[in-house]
Amino acid sequence: MTSIMSIRDLSVRFETPRGLLEAVRGASLEIAEGTSIGIVGESGSGKTVLSRAAMGLLSGRNVRREGTVVFAGKELTAMRPAQVREEFGTGMAMIFQDPMTALNPVRRIGVQLAEGPRVRLGMDKKAARARSVELLSLVRIPDPESMLNKFPFQLSGGMRQRVMIAIALACKPELLFADEPTTALDVTVQAQILQLLSDLRRELKMSMVLVTHDLGVVANHTDYVAVMYAGEIVEQAPTTELFANMKMPYTEALLNSIPKIDSKSGARMRVIEGRLPDPTDRPAGCGFAARCSYVQDKCREEHPPLLDSGNGHLYRCWFPLGHTIARKQ
Amino acid sequence: MRKFFSQMTLPSKLSAVWVAFICLLALFGWLLPLPDPREFDIDAPGVGLFSPGHLLGTDAGGYDLLSNIVYGARTSLMIAFISVGLGGIIGSAIGIISAYRRGRLDYLVSTGFNILLSIPNLVLGLALVAVLATSTDGAVQIPPSRRIIIIIFSLTIVIIPILGRIARGATLTWANREFVVAARSMGMRDRDIVFRHVVPNVLPAIYAILFLAVGVVIVAEGALSLLGVGVVDGVSWGAMIARVAGEFTYAPQSMYVPVTVLALTVISLNQLGDYLRGRLDLREGKI
Repeated sequence: MTSIMSIRDLSVRFETPRGLLEAVRGASLEIAEGTSIGIVGESGSGKTVLSRAAMGLLSGRNVRREGTVVFAGKELTAMRPAQVREEFGTGMAMIFQDPMTALNPVRRIGVQLAEGPRVRLGMDKKAARARSVELLSLVRIPDPESMLNKFPFQLSGGMRQRVMIAIALACKPELLFADEPTTALDVTVQAQILQLLSDLRRELKMSMVLVTHDLGVVANHTDYVAVMYAGEIVEQAPTTELFANMKMPYTEALLNSIPKIDSKSGARMRVIEGRLPDPTDRPAGCGFAARCSYVQDKCREEHPPLLDSGNGHLYRCWFPLGHTIARKQ
Repeated sequence: MRKFFSQMTLPSKLSAVWVAFICLLALFGWLLPLPDPREFDIDAPGVGLFSPGHLLGTDAGGYDLLSNIVYGARTSLMIAFISVGLGGIIGSAIGIISAYRRGRLDYLVSTGFNILLSIPNLVLGLALVAVLATSTDGAVQIPPSRRIIIIIFSLTIVIIPILGRIARGATLTWANREFVVAARSMGMRDRDIVFRHVVPNVLPAIYAILFLAVGVVIVAEGALSLLGVGVVDGVSWGAMIARVAGEFTYAPQSMYVPVTVLALTVISLNQLGDYLRGRLDLREGKI
């Protein structure tokens, strides 16, 4: 299987008044063509920064990006911004978390939808309008014609996110980044939007990177998972392998913190105690050591390397789950 | 438009009517049967309001006040609109570009704006007019048309930093929004992003300030006249006030009439500007 994007040893650091903030460190990831990859982690684990840095959307004087990103055979990290821009929309596109802020509040849906086809594909007004209607029906919006004249505030959250998806798909991208596409939506709408994304991915033969904090979403909608913690990819594996054979205590803790529908009413929610380490001042050992229930002395002193357990399953732990010696402690 | 008007508060309605009335006078006043504003009536110097043939009276020199108000409206409003228009366009463009680019350019531009704003409007205008529109050689007269151009130029420079700062501030709040990142993620060039995404959001803030700026400029023009560097020998509201400044006890209406008209106009413009600012100050929650 060829990969549409390969990220190698990508690090992103921000210069802040408190010093260098390391948001992503040494992340490597292959995105195979036609597959769906989930990036999971709690807030602040670096998943959004990783996806934006991979695409090349981070800008500003205080951003330092290292490592290489290759997209469709082209090394994005070696290209000038104007050249990378040529890949946006037609090659890669992104869906953002909050459809209210990611749509321009003062411009009509139709204008915003037609923008991509007009500017990037050089369509005339009429063709772009036809394309907009086509896109709106693609994302299952009823009566697309009348939708074109509406403003974002006239739409419900789910409808807005559908419009966002339509905008991202306007120039037929090969790789779609979905940055927590359902976090700002009602629970009832979340499932619909995720199903829509999965269906569209298959229909349009796209590859997709789904950024989320929800392992449940990952289980249903991805082929491959990367778990991020404190800016590092701490475990990555094909989705079925990951759930069958979890190695990282962090992944297990994430899974356990999902509320169960059959748990007793009033039962305490299981949370991961503690906080992420300070990204400007990292501990010497494993970043999760302070919160891990299986922690050993070694964890606090030495940073674990990324180990391979076969089946494409990589993890970053000295005492992985399923290791009898570690579990007894 | 009609709906917009009917929703206005009463003071705003009155202001809108007054401003519209003055604008109509400026545009079509020459159609009215009025005496020439530059010709004096030797038989009626300093007559009061509602005198026969002089509705608003005359000043001590016998010049018809109504006629001067009507023809002066044209000069005063022309100066105000042109300098605010030019200053608004130039200032907004500079402000938007520098806020969008950030970095050293932005630093230089905002320092420049701050320096210009630290000089009082009147002093800046006075200095520019004094340097550019006065001749040291008494024999060479500077024609009124050239003076008007120089006054417009000076007032434009006064307006640029005012509007520039507003545009810069508004751009800063909009240029980092998620929809700008979204537009970039679709491969939009900066030029397209600025025109399609930033400008439509920044414009409301600018519109409201434009009204206030017109008021500022009308006052500045009057003040420049009073200081002797305005459209002294031309016909404008400022010139009317300047001309009668010394003889105002003899014919008080010659001062009250232009000052009242000028004050009403400026108050109305401020009222309209404030009203518009309230109406256009859209928050995401409201729209």
